[in-house]
Amino acid sequence: MPSSSTGRYGRAMPQGSPRFVHGKILHNTGSGIFYRMEVAIPERIDFVPGQFAMVSGWPGNDPLLPRPLAIFRSGGVRGKGTVEFVYKVVGRGTALLSGLHAGDPLALTLPLGHGFEFPGEDRSWWLVGGGVGFSSVFPAAAALDGQRADFEIFLGARTRDQLPPGEWIPGGAVPGRVHLCTDDGTAGFFGTVAAALRDRIDRRKPTGQGRLAILACGPREMLKTVAEIALPLDVRVQVSLESHMACGFGVCWGCVTAVREGEKSGYRRVCKEGPVFDAREVVW
Amino acid sequence: MQGGAGLRREGGRLVTSPVTPDLSARVGNVLLKNPVMSASGTFGYGLEFTPFYDISRLGAVIVKGLSLLPTPGNAPGRIVETPAGMLNAIGLQNIGVERFVNEVAPRLDDAGAVYVANIYGRTIEEYEAVARRLSEVPALAAIELNASCPNVKEGGIAFGSNPQGLSGLTRRVRAATGKPLWVKLSPNVSDIGAIARAAEEAGADAVTLINTIIGMAVDPRTRRPKLSNVTGGLSGPAVKPVALRMVWEACKAVKIPVVGIGGIQSAGDALEFLLVGAAAVQVGTANFRNPNACVEIIDGIRDFFVREKIFRLDDYRGKLLLP
Repeated sequence: MPSSSTGRYGRAMPQGSPRFVHGKILHNTGSGIFYRMEVAIPERIDFVPGQFAMVSGWPGNDPLLPRPLAIFRSGGVRGKGTVEFVYKVVGRGTALLSGLHAGDPLALTLPLGHGFEFPGEDRSWWLVGGGVGFSSVFPAAAALDGQRADFEIFLGARTRDQLPPGEWIPGGAVPGRVHLCTDDGTAGFFGTVAAALRDRIDRRKPTGQGRLAILACGPREMLKTVAEIALPLDVRVQVSLESHMACGFGVCWGCVTAVREGEKSGYRRVCKEGPVFDAREVVW
Repeated sequence: MQGGAGLRREGGRLVTSPVTPDLSARVGNVLLKNPVMSASGTFGYGLEFTPFYDISRLGAVIVKGLSLLPTPGNAPGRIVETPAGMLNAIGLQNIGVERFVNEVAPRLDDAGAVYVANIYGRTIEEYEAVARRLSEVPALAAIELNASCPNVKEGGIAFGSNPQGLSGLTRRVRAATGKPLWVKLSPNVSDIGAIARAAEEAGADAVTLINTIIGMAVDPRTRRPKLSNVTGGLSGPAVKPVALRMVWEACKAVKIPVVGIGGIQSAGDALEFLLVGAAAVQVGTANFRNPNACVEIIDGIRDFFVREKIFRLDDYRGKLLLP
């Protein structure tokens, strides 16, 4: 993919320096099990799909640490920006976040981490989101959609109500391009997103498979299965990992994951060298 | 010239100006432009903060604990959030002293930072070797001896948990380097005053405290510890009252400077440590929540001194009024 600007969905560009800013919530509304929150910030930020922000907005010291949220969208002009997040309530931090209203202050450090890469030799992309993992791959889909690139989206959830609203899907819920999967069969493919991917990959014409790239975010088990399916077929797989992190910008060393380094393995920071890793490197 | 009662020298003559309090601090013979330093292990190698602010604004940067060889650290499951705090068991993952000297120190020099290296070893000989290598870094302001990491057996706590062990280690490293030597103390001891005195008698130029308090968290459902190391070090606002008490006790026990650390999140927190006698403070976990924490604390101390008409740090430091 060319590294030109792709509008408000971020850019496939070298990843910029983070900054710490104070913002104000514009809206923070629930939609099914997800919340979508837009925040006014003092300046426009450019981000690479897969990058994230550390966000806190509750008073006091408990919980102490900000929460990592994938950047869903950014906008604005010089001197005035907006940034948008999609999140699910999973613990106390996100529960407190979900209780904030328009006008409430928020502290953000962003953009953080190493996002998805779009090397020129990749010609078609499959974007895989499990659970709330779509919040990290939709920005990539939006960028690809802006380039009129060839992409398909796989979305997995336990049940129909836990899929993202169709209107959030970049390019729309186009049949054949967007594959919905539910564990209980209440919508789309009856089974896991990894099973749907296996099904689709089997039906794929053998030619040109080297040009396919998969970008995935979701539960670690799902990412592992996706890697196991696709890597033997010489498909390039990038996975966005989750981890508990204290700082988000590489100084606490709390969020590491094991990666292969030649014959050996070592620990790399999910917040800094990640969250997006080449799936071949990850020690599952 | 900074400080004084509204007088400053400008082009050879004295002019009046709004009072700018003199925040300069002294830890032994190390002069700091203000009493706020970053705590080791919470600030990387310092350079990670350059996107946020000019790190030369800090009293000093204390870099992440360095060992003789690069260290991989503990398996994941390294941090857990706890009420008003966090547990960590990083296991001292670091790039090793050689890479620090060759790659990081020159960049800290370029950034104009005053910096102190925290060190640890598996053996006394390793401590000595790291200290010797660091002595060759001209701009390095001091060496902070980590005699208190609770997360690796070799992280110094074996040396730092009793006065005899600490004394032996401090004496050997003292002999290995001409740099000012600060000794970072563990709070996981019964008598902090005795430990601080042991460091002083063995030749330490200052003591810094507290390191983290050993703690634990388990998951009731999975029945497993939340940290791969099982136990970890507690930090954050939750430890501040304990830290403050220990710093106060250490200040009474020794004549060398005491650097206060533990749960400092705001200028008010820092002032409490200065008031009980700390020569300076280190800010740790707060950096995770707010990358600008250290400079906001410096500004907050200055604002407080302006409001309270305090002209210099020494007019406030150690001036606790006891009942």
